[in-house]
Amino acid sequence: MSALLKKDWFGLGLVLIFGSILISLFKPAFISPFNLYVLMLSVSLMLVVAMSQMIIIAIGQMNLSVGAIGGLVAISFTGLMEVYSMSILPAVLIGLLIGLACGFINGYITVKTGISAFIITLATLYIFKGMNLGITEAQPFYEIPEAVKFFGNAKIFGPIPYLVIIPIIITVLMWILMNRTSLGRYMLAYGNNVQSSELIGISSTKIVIYAHVISGLLAAIGGMLVVCRLQLGTPNIGDSWLLPSFAAPVIGGAILAGGKVDVIATAFGVILVSIISQALVIFKIDPFFVQIFLGFMILLAVFINRYREYREERRTKVFSDE
Amino acid sequence: MNNKIPNFVKTNQFGLLILVIVFICIFSFSTDGFTSRFNIYALSRVVALDIMIGLAMMVVILTGGLNLSLGALGVSAAMFGGWCMESMGIPISITIILVLAFGSFLGWINGFVTVRTGVHSFIVTLATMSIYFGFMTLLTEAEAFRKLPEAFTNFGSLKLFNKYISPLLIISVLTCFVLYYIFKYTDIGRKLIAAGANPDAAELSGISVDRMFIYCHMLSGFLAALAGIMLTARIGAAIPSMAGHLGFDWLLPAFLAPVLGGTLLSGGKVTVFGTMLGAILVTLINNGLYLIDVGEFWVRFFLGIILLGAVLLDRAREYFTVKNSIVS
Repeated sequence: MSALLKKDWFGLGLVLIFGSILISLFKPAFISPFNLYVLMLSVSLMLVVAMSQMIIIAIGQMNLSVGAIGGLVAISFTGLMEVYSMSILPAVLIGLLIGLACGFINGYITVKTGISAFIITLATLYIFKGMNLGITEAQPFYEIPEAVKFFGNAKIFGPIPYLVIIPIIITVLMWILMNRTSLGRYMLAYGNNVQSSELIGISSTKIVIYAHVISGLLAAIGGMLVVCRLQLGTPNIGDSWLLPSFAAPVIGGAILAGGKVDVIATAFGVILVSIISQALVIFKIDPFFVQIFLGFMILLAVFINRYREYREERRTKVFSDE
Repeated sequence: MNNKIPNFVKTNQFGLLILVIVFICIFSFSTDGFTSRFNIYALSRVVALDIMIGLAMMVVILTGGLNLSLGALGVSAAMFGGWCMESMGIPISITIILVLAFGSFLGWINGFVTVRTGVHSFIVTLATMSIYFGFMTLLTEAEAFRKLPEAFTNFGSLKLFNKYISPLLIISVLTCFVLYYIFKYTDIGRKLIAAGANPDAAELSGISVDRMFIYCHMLSGFLAALAGIMLTARIGAAIPSMAGHLGFDWLLPAFLAPVLGGTLLSGGKVTVFGTMLGAILVTLINNGLYLIDVGEFWVRFFLGIILLGAVLLDRAREYFTVKNSIVS
């Protein structure tokens, strides 16, 4: 039990359960099938975006271009199908390839120049977004194959949408990567302490490039899932990803300095943010308030993390005195 | 002059100056309207704002941090100013003081939370960005203040020096000189730099690093608020969307100017005039790209490429200076 208490996600889990019960007591509409369906859609899309940012936080960097990659892939994916009447599978593959290439560019430049990933991804954010606008001239693509539309709309059974399948698979794969593979552990080691990880023989080039490539791939998947959901490819897909992409991992207990990232906690962060946003809508609160709320949640999470660190420091001090 | 600045040629500023001149030459020859009185006046109004935004970011980069909330903060302060003048009928001079104080206060919040939590200011200002912008939209109901006093809006459209230069540019250049003086010759300025360069060493020599970091964030808020006022004067109204959603339109110029100017992202180094030249270069290129007719949708792409090229060049310059200094 005490081991469970120490987990990042334990507290969050409790908050989620009690919060949901409380909300549905006040507003039974909260657990209506339609609302659950909407909730699951928003969770599944944000999950992919949050994972894309989380893996970069794990190596102690940040990726501002997540949304720009998602947007570029989204319009390429739909553009290939509409303008070049390509079938779905090759369009998806090319979409993934673009995401991979974008991530590789981010990672390669960052690690080879030693310039902060923040500046590199700020520059690539404008490059990818500029390409997006240059190609589309800010016009959306509307012609989406029926199969894609179906995938974005249909339900497996009850309120569960098809769209949740891919995010769940991704979350499981990410958990395996971060907890059960040497690559994932190396990433965390690198995020924790670059020098010491290099001293024990971890290649920083490999780690940084892999992390950015995975981030690019996930952003690409996120972009294509949004296309399925919206049933069209607009150039502004991904514009609003920045805040939520950081909110979920931070709220979920990741420390931005890197090296302490938890896939389950991030998933809980996503669910928490979605439930709160949804609850605010149900209680008919101004949508701008949702944004303010998200900001305060991040600050609160940051303070809680700080407090926990402080308590841990004190505890270790007591032991060393003995 | 010559014996005083022999090292000037080696600096980043000199390289920037050359680039500025080269771009001016390219654009004057390749486009028609570049040297027209109208375009130069328009440029001076845009440059003024870009310099101020760049400076506001520079003082936070000094601490090794970032201020993502810059745009949201500046617009919030500007909207507060609009409210003071239009709804409350407060005189212009007092409004400006109130707005600057308000900006500094928002900056203080950024600094206080950053210092107290020990979290990177990126995350803190990401949160405050959405908080400031959200509150601003909520309180103003996304409505603009368009009935500002005429004396205020007239100032924004004033034309000086044979109608070539906007008075806004003079404010920005003056601010550069004041900041240069502060960082170079005052006690507090040196302490700010020391705290940014090596927090541990600064702490040991009796400087309260936390307080210095909070001062930097306050200064950033102050300058962002000033930029907000200037933008309001330029447009002639206080509009919630004048810096884009969440103030994001300010972010690229804010980072470009100091980074081009040679401000180290790791903190501890400011280049006031480098930032000014950086802002001038960005505005020139932006303006020139429109005049060359590269297509408005590709401008963003080229700005990104230029930022990337600039940081890579700077990296190469650093590399060669280190190599040369080892050889000699």
